[in-house]
Amino acid sequence: MGTQTMIDECLEIWRDPYKELSRLREQGERPVAFFCSYTPEEILHAAGLTPVRLMGAARTIGHADAHLQAYCCSLARTDLDMALAGELESLEGAVFVQTCDTMMRLSDIWRRNTGFPFHGDLVLPIRMGEEISLPFLVEEVHRFREQVEAFVRHEISDEALRESIRVYNRNRRLADRLYRLRREKPHVIDGLSATACLVVGFWMPRQAHNEILQRIAENLESVEAEEVDRLPLLVSGSICTTPDLFELLLELGADVVDDDLCCGHRYFDAFADETVAPEDALAKRMWERVNCPAKHQCLEDRAERLLWQVQACGARGVVFYLQSFCEPHLFDIPYLRKRLQEELGVPSLVLESELQSFSRGQLRTRLQAFIETIRGV
Amino acid sequence: MSTDADLSGREKEDKERRRIKSGGAMRELMTKYYLEAKAAEGTDRHIAWITSGGPVEPLIAFDVIPVYPENHGAMCGAAHMNVELCEVAESRGFSRDLCSYARGDIGSAVTKGGPIGGLPRPTFLVCCNNICNTVFKWYEELSRFFEVPLFIFDTPFVRGELSFHHKDYSVRQMEEYISFLERITGKEYDEARFVDVAAKSLYASSLWAQVLACNEHKPAPMTCFDAFILMAPIVTLRGTQEVVDFYQGLLKEMRERIERGIGILPSERYRLLWDNIPVWYEMRNLGRLFTELEACLVADTYTSAWTFEGVDVEDPLASMAAIYTEVYLNINLERMAEKIESLARRFDVDGMIMHSNRSCKPYSLGQYDLAKEFTRRTGKPTLIIEADHTDSRWYNRSEVETRIRDFVENLLGESVGV
Ligand code: SF4
Ligand code: SF4
Repeated sequence: MGTQTMIDECLEIWRDPYKELSRLREQGERPVAFFCSYTPEEILHAAGLTPVRLMGAARTIGHADAHLQAYCCSLARTDLDMALAGELESLEGAVFVQTCDTMMRLSDIWRRNTGFPFHGDLVLPIRMGEEISLPFLVEEVHRFREQVEAFVRHEISDEALRESIRVYNRNRRLADRLYRLRREKPHVIDGLSATACLVVGFWMPRQAHNEILQRIAENLESVEAEEVDRLPLLVSGSICTTPDLFELLLELGADVVDDDLCCGHRYFDAFADETVAPEDALAKRMWERVNCPAKHQCLEDRAERLLWQVQACGARGVVFYLQSFCEPHLFDIPYLRKRLQEELGVPSLVLESELQSFSRGQLRTRLQAFIETIRGV
Repeated sequence: MSTDADLSGREKEDKERRRIKSGGAMRELMTKYYLEAKAAEGTDRHIAWITSGGPVEPLIAFDVIPVYPENHGAMCGAAHMNVELCEVAESRGFSRDLCSYARGDIGSAVTKGGPIGGLPRPTFLVCCNNICNTVFKWYEELSRFFEVPLFIFDTPFVRGELSFHHKDYSVRQMEEYISFLERITGKEYDEARFVDVAAKSLYASSLWAQVLACNEHKPAPMTCFDAFILMAPIVTLRGTQEVVDFYQGLLKEMRERIERGIGILPSERYRLLWDNIPVWYEMRNLGRLFTELEACLVADTYTSAWTFEGVDVEDPLASMAAIYTEVYLNINLERMAEKIESLARRFDVDGMIMHSNRSCKPYSLGQYDLAKEFTRRTGKPTLIIEADHTDSRWYNRSEVETRIRDFVENLLGESVGV
């Protein structure tokens, strides 16, 4: 298969991933949903389950309104809505990692109102990167492993877990390679394609995803393409449910050269240590990886990291893409914008998404205005 | 609606008889507290801003003045001043969808606005996320704004029973908190002092629990709207002798009212349970409405958050740690449902009113399920009203009042008994 065909397929899945669920089932996989990048997917993987990531959907809410108020983020609302509508029947269950207040309550609401056989809960500390919270985190990872074991009715051996860690670490290395390629040769692979190649991994077994990433990276590394003049931007936020934002930017002559997204760079940051006890390795990775705004990280300041990232990829503007009502992200915005502007002179734009009322037209207008300001036209 | 001027002599007398007299003592106590705290600004006394669910006892034991932005937020809300403060924060880029306590507080920090001219500048911050995760984002911002250290007492969510590693994490943080205070204040930890403060705090909280329990009596000697006001000292100053004295006085008054059969309403036909933080800017109007409807809000899920149980005085640090971890907002829906059910039974209520509070996700998300569960368990109806605790721009008075009226008027017909 040609590289472009592969990338196109990835894009297609990103646009409409939910049909993959039944396909996975037919292939004999046992999909389990997760929402948050702090999920220790390796444990599910080692138990013979296939983690898939629910990322919301642009849809009209029909069922979730009986359980969640309208002032709750659209990811929680649309994911729950799909579950209640019976559209996620192929799932064995879901894993809730408690990052924000919404997820913490959604877990109970989901458990009480959907009938999936498996329900996993992982409670996280908010103090990441500090000695004091690590033992708690290790115990929680252990407890989670027990929940999964109870569900699959067999032990997950340390050996199996180590193997899964290796598979996921390989995935992280490959994703990093692809991202590096996109930063260094944006004319060879643009942000839309690179992100699609990453996001598609949420909808297939990890080994299969590794194959795809490996082939795409190998093919592209040798390509010499003509340079194109696109305005380099960085996108920061949580999840991009659809490729629309990336597509629009390309149409408008800009490109996302790096990101600080939960379905992007933040997903594959940091490796799990293959030389220590697997539970320790998984806990430690969550604890030291790039921080999500729903956590308090002492090792690194979020603004510092963003500034550094912007400089490294040469972005001339930052687009913050957030879910409405998402407190953790919304709180950081004024501070991040201020530092970007004051220290780097880099302007930024804040876009909020409510998937139920997603308007491409509006998005386009705002992006266009932003790009024009940077270009000084 | 009649005003005081229209009241006849007998009605006036009756109103005076039913008025809670301890309100005056409380206002004095709180005024003194705020004056002292404000006077300490710029001196060498330490001032710590702390979240309402945070462990304050160590601060008192170290002679630090605790200041509560949430209490101040309630005050700004009741004084109808929080919206303008929120707007200050919004103009600085904070989304209108963030908690209005946080927005108002950030606005007040910038402009020193509000009924008391803002809070005194903190020398450090203490944040405990047992009530929500909003607070640590909010306090991170405060820490950047004032350039002062922030101590986070992290209480991860409790599902089912409190596990050993959870308890252990809390205890180790209590110890860390103490060392943090030693470092900041330059004083040594005085165990005897701490035990004394903890004992007073617990005693005050048990007095508070007894005050609230007085409302099991019919007619109820107070409404939870009174409790929302009268809880200020237990939130802000528990651990001090004045607070113990105050609640002793209040308890005595409540017991006398019961003995003399003095209810807070002229007539109590319905007894209701309230869920969530008060709608601060609307207390007066809602109070009037409920009085008119002869409905007494006899209990709520909010004020009881400051009634601590199960303390081991031998090991105060550890038991404090556990108590602070298992507060009402930090447990799963089933455990919350048990609590509401037990309140409903103890206080013999006819129904429940839930304030769906746009600002507060941990309190409000899940309410729809809790409402159903409540009715399933007790056979009593619930009403959910939409508002925001201090941002009145989200409030539609006529709609809410109509819904409350309809709900109360239907109560007799609907109660199916347990
Ligand atoms: S988008 Fe924000 S509020 Fe929604 S689940 Fe994610 S972190 Fe929580
Ligand atoms: S979200 Fe709720 S608990 Fe948190 S600060 Fe706001 S009102 Fe308080």
